[in-house]
Amino acid sequence: MRQAPANYTQAPASNGYEFSAGSGYQLPEYPFTPPPELVTGQMTRHSVVIVGAGLAGLSLACALNQYGVTAILLDEDNTVGVKGASSRGICYAQKTLEIFKRLGLYDRIAAKGVQWSVGRTFAGHDEVYSFDLAAATTHNMSTQPPFINIQQFYVEGFLVEQLYADTNRTIDLRWSNRITAFEQKADFASLSITTPAGDYQIEAAHVVDCSGARSPFRAWCNASVTAKKGDDRWCIADVRFKNPPPVERHTWIEAPFNEGRAVWQHLMADGVWRIDYQMRPDADPQEVSREDVVRQRINGQLGRVVSPSEYDIVWVGPYAYRSECVDQLRHGQVFFVGDAAHVVSPFGARGGNSGVQDADNLAWKLAAVIQNRATSKLLDSYHEERHEAATQNVLVTNRTARFLRPADGMERIFRSAAISLAKRHVFARQLVNTGRMSTPNAYSNSSVCGPAGGRALQNVALRWADGSAGDLADLLRWAQGRLLLLVFGALTIEMRRQVWQLMTQTDLRCVQVVYQASLADAVEHVIDPAGHLSGCVGNAAWALVRPDSYIAATGDRFDAALTQASLAATKAAA
Amino acid sequence: MNGQLNFEDADLFYERLLDAHQGLSRDQSEALNARLVLILANELGGSDRLAACIAAATEKDAPKALQQP
Repeated sequence: MRQAPANYTQAPASNGYEFSAGSGYQLPEYPFTPPPELVTGQMTRHSVVIVGAGLAGLSLACALNQYGVTAILLDEDNTVGVKGASSRGICYAQKTLEIFKRLGLYDRIAAKGVQWSVGRTFAGHDEVYSFDLAAATTHNMSTQPPFINIQQFYVEGFLVEQLYADTNRTIDLRWSNRITAFEQKADFASLSITTPAGDYQIEAAHVVDCSGARSPFRAWCNASVTAKKGDDRWCIADVRFKNPPPVERHTWIEAPFNEGRAVWQHLMADGVWRIDYQMRPDADPQEVSREDVVRQRINGQLGRVVSPSEYDIVWVGPYAYRSECVDQLRHGQVFFVGDAAHVVSPFGARGGNSGVQDADNLAWKLAAVIQNRATSKLLDSYHEERHEAATQNVLVTNRTARFLRPADGMERIFRSAAISLAKRHVFARQLVNTGRMSTPNAYSNSSVCGPAGGRALQNVALRWADGSAGDLADLLRWAQGRLLLLVFGALTIEMRRQVWQLMTQTDLRCVQVVYQASLADAVEHVIDPAGHLSGCVGNAAWALVRPDSYIAATGDRFDAALTQASLAATKAAA
Repeated sequence: MNGQLNFEDADLFYERLLDAHQGLSRDQSEALNARLVLILANELGGSDRLAACIAAATEKDAPKALQQP
């Protein structure tokens, strides 16, 4: 029912514990359009309602749009990022970049962002150890680099533009729409929404909560949360130097220029450096973010008095670390995604990256259920898989936090021991923990993954039947949200019969993978000249690949196990 | 965790350990012990054995971990 125009409260200019100094960023603004329910006054039941147009919500919207699923996307603000606040996430991991490749915005991110693979860790004036992820076997098969650094609002802006550029989009973007109440019914949810033009109500078969760490849905759903709060305080200074330092991740465990506490230094787009200083636990947030205090720290870091003309301060903000994880990521019709589901300290870039990967995990499952390729039981696997990932990320980041802020006494003594040994012995470098960089989480408890399943496949390069260049992301896009059955090598008549039978039972796409074009005997085939794709699935005879580029199962024989794995992967009825 | 004798020469090791600490302050001794624990742990390597050693040292759940076949 339509109500009189309300006094719409604008979204707050910062998120409570952050405040800003410096010139800040110019953020795009998107128009408010009165939603159809306000005009018609009719109650509509939507298939999917996404709450929150941040990194997770926009990634989900883009993925659902690619699968042709109708959804509405609500955001209380009219822009990306947080008004007046920092860029938040800066560091996008390979798996996330592969998802962005599939969603079609990777090239823009690569052009705007900064690639890096070398990290160096210092204690005092000595380098303790360094790594080069480009040389690591965990990262080298993908067509995407190990990491790209870019301000989060750029990525969000690209996602919005990607949606607006599609004239056939299935996503209704509703800016300046804030949820004020929520009620869970038997097989749908009811949502009350306020806008600058008045209030309205809608119903939703699926609600995806991407509203961030202050999600109201946690209370509305009575969702229990496992949380840990530390006393570790940090202060970010985003600065732009006229003469930039090298494009490497530098971390100091004990920085001589920061009273022996930790410092992080990372480059983003536009030549902006994020320098993150660990503060005394009792430090006054107001004082440590004062411009003269920030400039004093920069002077200390560069070992001289740096003239303000040599660099601009773009943004300054103090913050505290914490970790939280919602215990059940699904509550009836509601799915918790991204920061709404879990908050971790920023070590290893496991926050925003896991939000995008949550969204990518849920998107194909929603599409498969809504488009009748799977039973609704498939949606329970979202919790099984992504809660395991969140738990892992909380564990890993808490270990780093403990290394960086050891308790007085033995914890500090052991850290000093590890650092002093690391300078002389290779083994001890492994104990020095300045963050374990985000890699795709494996799913070991999933009811929809079969033998050798639950592992992510890198975005391997391959060649199309006509010899032109492609990659696995293209192939997954071609499968349009269906399972992709990769069959390696020559096909016997028996194998063909089995695959044909399978394709009548389940809605999957099948592609033959061969070393050279002359060996192909299926119309749909790709060429894997160096055997990279084959190697990534452990040289199995077949691999069932999900739309999120995870392996559902692999096998060496074309037998009942293949049929079973295909049915299990979508929780389809046998 | 090997609760049985494994030292080539237990008295020799014990003597060397005490000698290494001789003349050190409490702080220096603590630092030495911490380094030694990390070095020895790396020599062992295996997670299960290390967990059993920690359990034995904390004297919690140690009897079970100490049980030898």
